[in-house]
Parts: sequence; structure tokens; C-alpha cells
Amino acid sequence: MLLPELVRFHLTGEPPTDTEPAPPGLRPAVLASLQDLSTLRYDFPLLLTENGDSLTLSLSELFDDILREVAPPGPSGERIRRHLLGLELRIRRAVSGGEVGLLSQMWEAAAKGLLAETNADEAALVQASLAKAEAARLVDGRAVDCDDRLASDFLEHIWTAVGKRQRLVVRQEIAELTLRLSNILQADYSRSQAGLAPERLAGSVGVSHRREFDFEAWSRMVTGTPSGAVGPDRRRRLESILSILENQRFIPGGKATPYSFRFDRATAAATAFRQRVPEMLELIKAMTIARLEIENRYREPKHDEFFAAFDETSPTAQDLAAFPSYLVTMQAEDVVGTEQAQLVDILSSSLPIKVLVESDDILGESPIGDVRWSPGVGGGRLGNLAIGLGEAFTMQSASSNLPRMEETVVAGLSHQGPALFSVFGGSKKHVRDLPRYLTAASAMRSRAFPAFTYDPGAGDDWAARFRVDGNPAADDDWPVEALTYEDDNLQRITEEVRFTFVDFAACDSRYADHFVPVPRSSWNDQMEPAWRFLNGEAPPGKVPYILMATADNLLQRLVVDRELIEAARRCRRQWNSLQELGGIHNSHARRLLEQARARWEEETARELKEVTAGSAAAAVIVEERPVEELETPPAVEEAAVVELPEEAPPADEPYIETARCTTCDECTTLNSRMFAYDENKQAIIADLGAGSYRQMVEAAEACQVAIIHPGKPWNPSEPGLEELVERAAAFN
Amino acid sequence: MALTATDCVLLSDDERSTIEDYEGGVPRWCTGCGDNAILTSLQRLCRDEQLPQEKVVFVSGIGCSGRFPHYMNTYGFHGLHGRALPVAEGIKIRRPDLHVFVNTGDGDCCSIGTAHWIHALRYNMDMTVVMHDNRTYGLTKHQASPTSPLGLKSNTTPYGADLNPLDPLSVTLGVTNASFVAQAVDWIPELLHQIVSLAFHHKGFSFIRVLQRCPEYLPAFFDPWVQDPARVLLLSHQDGIQPAPSLSRTYRNQEEHDPLDLLRAKDIAAGADAIPVGILYRNPEIPRYEELRKPDRLYTPDAIAKGFEAELDRFTIWPEQEEKEHAAT
Ligand SMILES: Cc1ncc(C[n+]2csc(CCOP(=O)(O)OP(=O)(O)O)c2C)c(N)n1
Ligand code: SF4
Ligand code: SF4
Repeated sequence: MLLPELVRFHLTGEPPTDTEPAPPGLRPAVLASLQDLSTLRYDFPLLLTENGDSLTLSLSELFDDILREVAPPGPSGERIRRHLLGLELRIRRAVSGGEVGLLSQMWEAAAKGLLAETNADEAALVQASLAKAEAARLVDGRAVDCDDRLASDFLEHIWTAVGKRQRLVVRQEIAELTLRLSNILQADYSRSQAGLAPERLAGSVGVSHRREFDFEAWSRMVTGTPSGAVGPDRRRRLESILSILENQRFIPGGKATPYSFRFDRATAAATAFRQRVPEMLELIKAMTIARLEIENRYREPKHDEFFAAFDETSPTAQDLAAFPSYLVTMQAEDVVGTEQAQLVDILSSSLPIKVLVESDDILGESPIGDVRWSPGVGGGRLGNLAIGLGEAFTMQSASSNLPRMEETVVAGLSHQGPALFSVFGGSKKHVRDLPRYLTAASAMRSRAFPAFTYDPGAGDDWAARFRVDGNPAADDDWPVEALTYEDDNLQRITEEVRFTFVDFAACDSRYADHFVPVPRSSWNDQMEPAWRFLNGEAPPGKVPYILMATADNLLQRLVVDRELIEAARRCRRQWNSLQELGGIHNSHARRLLEQARARWEEETARELKEVTAGSAAAAVIVEERPVEELETPPAVEEAAVVELPEEAPPADEPYIETARCTTCDECTTLNSRMFAYDENKQAIIADLGAGSYRQMVEAAEACQVAIIHPGKPWNPSEPGLEELVERAAAFN
Repeated sequence: MALTATDCVLLSDDERSTIEDYEGGVPRWCTGCGDNAILTSLQRLCRDEQLPQEKVVFVSGIGCSGRFPHYMNTYGFHGLHGRALPVAEGIKIRRPDLHVFVNTGDGDCCSIGTAHWIHALRYNMDMTVVMHDNRTYGLTKHQASPTSPLGLKSNTTPYGADLNPLDPLSVTLGVTNASFVAQAVDWIPELLHQIVSLAFHHKGFSFIRVLQRCPEYLPAFFDPWVQDPARVLLLSHQDGIQPAPSLSRTYRNQEEHDPLDLLRAKDIAAGADAIPVGILYRNPEIPRYEELRKPDRLYTPDAIAKGFEAELDRFTIWPEQEEKEHAAT
């Protein structure tokens, strides 16, 4: 295979005549060491826990927790550790072999298997280790692998848990409202004529003493109290809301079969939501009225009108938050036509519909083919579309990364509006030689399907709402990997490579035509790693290649055609704009920084010039302020007390220091027209003309806190003034 | 906080209660009695907070102070001597939605009701407790109380009280879980009102001792303090009372006291002569019994009947079962 032929292939896609088919089982070289995932302790199997602190937990985390508790350092702990890691391995194998079910069941089977394979000498020790571990295992739940069911199982699990917590609160409130409303009717009945009938009274007395009572007479004596009784309108209202509360179908626990909120089509969920709106409004209205009734604050003249006009605009976000969210899980290929239109509608609305779209193909048939011209948006671009709509919570992630997304998923499901979860699960159809986990992880690493989260509720700007930091080496174009291999002389070599979109595409059987395997004999210096090519670091005239590993772990170079290199550059551009949104290498920020720096440099230069020109002294003096001046705290309080003008009116007029009045009734008893209480029930002079100066002076003498000041007499013809003025002096 | 439709409807509520709405019967206390000032400040509190009358309950024991619930146009319970607190606790644990107030006297609280007082402090249930301390048994026409000063001549101590008085503040501050301890005097209504209001907003058992004048039996007893503002020590703090400048002109004897400082609070309580007025101690972190014992399910009549049945079944003798058990042994 000659170099010009390889160059031609790169430029035109025309393979050299002597091209041999690629050997079967090719995998990206950096993944070569990950042959058998079931021997690795990693994020899977994942436990969807039923009773743990968190909603999910990996099997290895669970075993680490158990080991920490039951395997102390030292030889005996080491033995326990060995036994339990054996148990873990068996469970892991069972799950990756396709077994489904509860951890506890798999645990039991694995423990049996382990014991069966243990020789008689060690059996007792193994048994003891297992017993300890069993006692320390506090959680149970379904064990799932990174397979085609993962995304929907994971989401449904968290959706159920989040919903359960929220429903419990609402359910309790409905039960309490129902009880309290029934109590109102019950109390009313107990006090009514019927409630006080002889038979009812008899029922309230113990059987053994019934003969001692005359219930007829008793009933005649205690007549029903019509005052405060529930009138016909109120009774009708109470009965009607009671019936709505009892027959609602949104929260389980009522009389009627609850609605389902789980759908596999966006259209079905949206239709169901709309059909249920009137009933939902009825329930919100009933709960609102119930709360008012219980507080005894329902006022017919005002509230009848308010509730007659109660419509879709009346409930607050808090009212709507009481209702379960709708969960839709769909495959990306089904998001076409009306489904796609409906999905866009949902994501642009404020409906509480959460949609999981799972794709297992994000590449399409060819780099410029199907995806670009296909009718659907394609799973790979749904996330971008959703963040453009602005109000939908959006999460994009590879399925391999879901174990790290629990918190994000909880946030999305708790978000009041719609949410989109776009998950790439790894295709088995087109990528045969990698486990799903690795395909999914490669899609994320290669930036073909980067992870991001957009949470419109998290803040007002992109910095608060958008995150890409869950991606490997999020600051870089492509993550750096270390590739270790042996060369022809059996020397160990470690090389730094980058995992790019091209490496990811190379795993897809449909992309085989974009690569030509080059036999070892034809390797030459003009070949350049594709990632350097992408970075524009390759000198002209070179051809790009990637490294893959064959089934028997031999390195293989494959030359890449230009079309795919172009596709990889497009992929990087898209990744770069996501980075920018996420605040990484943001061009606006960088520009602002440059401007600010330029300004700063300019100013510094100017200042420097001024300083050298001799104005330095002045500049320093401006900064120098007397220390005391800065440190003296503002003397607010003391000054306020001292400087306030004395409020006392002229001593001639009688007055009361009302704020100090203790409501002791002395003065008001003396003359209730001259002295009265204000709105705080403290004494004021209400009408001077209603009393005499004598009464004023007597009041001043009676007032124990001495706050009545009689002033001077206002009626000179009143007898005995001289003596009264003398007595008043003590209080003026 | 997020609003519900109910809140929105209520926000547009234009009915406002006035003090008169909280006034019950006409007080039959003696003219000049300090209880009137306490009554006014609690009526003002209800008005300021716009508490729905049917959501408020005043519980009292026996004594002049015990008449309090009659004068409030709210729910009330005039209980047994010394037993206001257990009644209030029962109300609170079953009806946590009610605002519970307790009025008790120095005899009612510190004599016959002492055990309940200590344990109520420890339970720390959310309620406002006002102890009307007139230093005598008023209702029983001047018998000595535990807070009567040494040497006080009364109908039960004609030669003068033999014992040193009990100090309710020091006792309260010494009890486990005490979370709010304050002292007010009826003759400074502005501060009485502030203290009552702080107590109401405290989540827990708020204990206020109000020094209350009994002009009928101890007419001049508090005069030295009423007439000499220097003998009153105001404990001001941003988390406590904040006397207005006009009041500070009269009451210049002030100390900045942090209500979280328990040690200083104990010192102040034990101090002689000057009467401290303000919040001595407040700790909002102490757990409340009604929260700790909050039922996790609803007590519907059905659930209660079932509970009773189950309980009684435990004591029922089941003849067949007994035979079986007998045969087994
Ligand atoms: C079990 C019981 N013992 C004694 C009495 C008599 N008694 C009625 S009021 C009272 C003292 C009340 O004093 P205090 O609590 O200081 O209230 P004040 O009247 O001073 O407000 C007593 C001993 C009673 N009513 N019940
Ligand atoms: S006598 Fe003095 S304290 Fe009593 S009500 Fe009149 S002004 Fe107020
Ligand atoms: S006896 Fe004393 S405490 Fe009782 S009402 Fe009269 S003044 Fe008030």
C-alpha cells in the first residue's frame, strides 16, 4: 500500500486496490484493556434502592460500605474481604449475564453458589463472613446493568420516589381537610334537634346506667342551638367539597381508582393532562375552600364570586405543585411527526410533563447523510433544541453516566414545569464489538454526545442555569488518554493520545468505509494521529490515522477520510459552543477581559506617567485621612436620647402620658366622659368640658403611675381652685 | 415562601379585628389592679397579630389572675388551682394549630402548681405563659405566697413571713430545656407589650413573670420601684426589648444583654434591688415536645375507635385462647 494511494483515499474516499477488510473485533486502542467489564468494580450494576439514604447506589459502593463495617484491617478482615469480593463478583456476573430482580434474591443465589464451590475446610468461615455481610446490608432494591432498559428504569425509579414523598404530604392534607370538614358537619349535627333526640342521648350513656336516665326529659331540656348552625348554603358547599375530596383521582388514598401518570407517547400524556384540567381545578378549588372553611374565614358575599370565577389562571404554582408529574418515556426514533410537534409544544409550555427520550443511534447512516436530512430532530440534537426553548429543564447524558446524575434527575423531576431527559444508551445494532456501557461512555468522551444540564429554575442567567462540568476533561476539546503498549522490541511505551469523534465513529459498522486498515508493513512517517490533524497541528501532505486494537490485542492503524475529519471538526465546534454556554472559554467573557486588561494597562501607564511627572505627592495625600476620623463610630443612639426635644406640652394644659397608661380604670371610673381609652386601650383626655378641674386633680392623685398632669384650671369660676392648684403642682 | 390560592384569597381579606373584638366580659378586678394592664397588652397582641378568635385559647388556674379567660373573647379554660399548665399542654398536643396562652398567679404557679411548672418548662411546648406575680394570694384575701417577701404581714403570716421568697426567674433559668424567660412590670405597658410580643413569636415555652400591683392588699408595695425609675434595669438588645427614646429618658438604667447569655441571665436574676425588665434568656433551638411527639397519622374517629378496641382487647379474656395456652403449658 503506497502513500499516494492513502492520500487519495483520504481526499476522495476511494480505497487502495489492495485494501484488505478490517480484522473483526476492532476496538479503540484506549479501550483494549477493558475486555471483560464484569471483572471491574465500577458504576454498574446499579441498585435502585428501596430503603437507602440515596435513591441509587452502585454494587461496589454497597460492598465497600459493608466491608468497612465488617472487615477490620488484619488477616481475619482480609479473609472476610476475599469472601465478600467473591460474592460481589458473582452478583456482578449474574447481572451482566442478563439476570433481573432484587439484590436480596441475587445475593441469596450468589451466596449459595459461593458456598457450593468452597471446600469443606473453609465453608464455616465463608458462612460466617456471609452472615456478617448479610446483617450489615441495610438496603435492597433492583440491580440493573447499563443495558437498554437502564434509562427508563432509572428515571421511573426516581420519579416514583420523588412522587411518593410529595404525594404523602398532599394525601395527608386531603385526609386532614376531609376530617376537619366532617367534624364541622358532625358538630352541627350533635347540636341539632336530631342530634339531641332521646335515642342519641341514650347512645352517649353506658349500657349499665341507661335505666337511671329519662332521655325524653333530657332531650326536652337541651334544645338544639340554632345560632351558629350550618345553614343550607354552607352545608351544600361543605358536602360538595367533601365529595370532591373523597372522589378525586390524582392522589391515591381516595375512594376512586387513581389516574395513571405514566405514558409512552408525548401526545397521550398531553391529552390526558388536558382532559384532567377541569377535575384538577375542581380539586384545587375544593382544597382552597376547605382551608377557608376550617379557618372559618369563608365569607359568602366575597368568596362565592371569587370561586365562581375560578379558572385555569387562578391556581398558584404552589397549588399545582401538589399534583403528580406525568412521565413519558420514548425512543428517539418515535419522536417524529405529531409526537415531535407535541414534544416541542410540551417543552415550550409549563405543563408538568417529564419526557425521557432514549436514543441508541446518534450518528445516523453517514456523517452527512440521514441525520442531516431526516425528518426527525434526532436524539443527538433534542437537548440543544430544548435549551433553546428556554423554560424546560433539560438534561443530556450518556446512560453510562446516569449513576452520577441522580441529583440532577431529582431536580428535573421536582422542577415545576416540563423536563426533557435525553439519554444515549449505546447501540448494539451498529456497534457490535463494545459493551453498551463503553459505547455510551465513548459517545460522551468523544463529544459526540456531551452531558449537560439546563435548569431554568436555578437562576436568572446562563452561569446559574447551564452546566457542562460533568464531562471528562470539560476544559479541553478532547480528553487526553494514556495509551500503553509494547513495541516490536517488547519495550513498554506510554503515549498520550486524544479520544475524538473519529475514534467513536470507528466503532460503528456503518462507518467502515471511512477507514482503511493499513498493514504494519506500510506504516510510515507521513501518517499522523487524527487528533493532531483535527487540532491543525499536522504539517501538509500527511494522512490522518487512528489506533485500534484487534481481537488478539494487536495495534492497528486506520487511515481516515476527509469527510469524517470534517464531521469531527463540526462535532468539536458544537462542543465548543456548549463549553461557551457553560462558561468555559467563553468568547464574550474573554473579549471583555481583554478590553478590561487593555484599559487597565492604559490607565496604569498614564498614572505611571503622572507619578514620574511629579504629582505623586498629591496622589498620596488624597489617600491619607486622619485615623480617628475613620474609626469613630457614628454616635447614633446616645445622641438620639439626649438630643430629642422634650415633647411635653406647655404646663398650662392638662395632658396624659398615654403610652405609660396601665389601663387601671381609675380615671375612667372617675369620669368616663372626660377620660376614655384610645385604640390601644390607654387613657386619653377625651372631653375636657365633660368634667371639672377637681376631677382632673383627683384623677392625677389616683393614677398610680402618676402620668396625669392636670395643668392650670380652664374654668376660673370653679370653686376651690386655689387649693386644687396647690394639689396639682405635684403632678405638673 | 410560595403562595397557595388560599393565601391569595386571604391576602385580599379586608376584615380587620380591633381590640374590642377580643374583649370578653367586663373585668371584675379591683380598680387599679395590675391585671388590667396585662389584659390590655394581650388583647393588643391578638389585635396586632390579627389572631382569629377561634384559634386562640386562654387557660388559667385559680386566683384573681384565673379570671383572665372570662375577659377574652376567645376560647378559654378556667381550670383547677395550679393545673393550668397540664390543661394547656393537652390542648397544644392535640390542637397544635391553636395559639395557647396561660395565665397563672404566684400562688397558682409557684405553690400548688410547682411540679407542673417545672415539667412544663422541660417539655418546652409552644405556648405563652404569663405569671401574674402580685406577691400575695389576692383571691383568698391576702394570704402569704411563696414570692411574698420576708417579714410580710398577711392573714396567714400575722407576725410576718418567716421564709425568704422564692425567685421564679432563677428557678426557671435552672430547669432543663427552659427556652424563654422574661420579666415585665405592669406599670411600663410599652415594654410589657414588647415582651409579650417577643414571647408570642418564640417557638417554645415562653415564661414571663409580670410583677403586678395589687392595690387592694399591697397598696404601696411596689411604689419604691414605680416612683424611682433608677431601680428598674432595662435589658435591651437587638434580639430583646428596644425601649423607645422617650422611655429611655425616664429609664436610664439599662444594660445591653444578649438573651443567649445564660450565665449573665442567672446573675441578673439573682441580683438584688433593681428589678430587671426584658428578655433574660431565649434559645430557639430547644426541641419542642409537641414536635417530637407529632403523630404520624390522622386520628379520625375510626382510627380512635380501632385504637381503643385494640387496647381493650389486650385486657379481654378470650376463653378458647386461654384453654389453648393452658393446654400448651
Ligand atoms: C385545691 C385548692 N386549694 C386552695 C384553693 C384556695 N385558693 C384559691 S385562690 C388561691 C391562691 C391564689 O393565689 P395567686 O395564684 O397568687 O393568685 P392571685 O389571686 O393573687 O391572682 C388559693 C390558695 C383552691 N381554690 N383550690
Ligand atoms: S389612672 Fe392612670 S394608669 Fe389608670 S387608666 Fe387612668 S391614666 Fe391610665
Ligand atoms: S385583690 Fe389584688 S390582685 Fe386581686 S383583683 Fe384586687 S387588686 Fe387585683
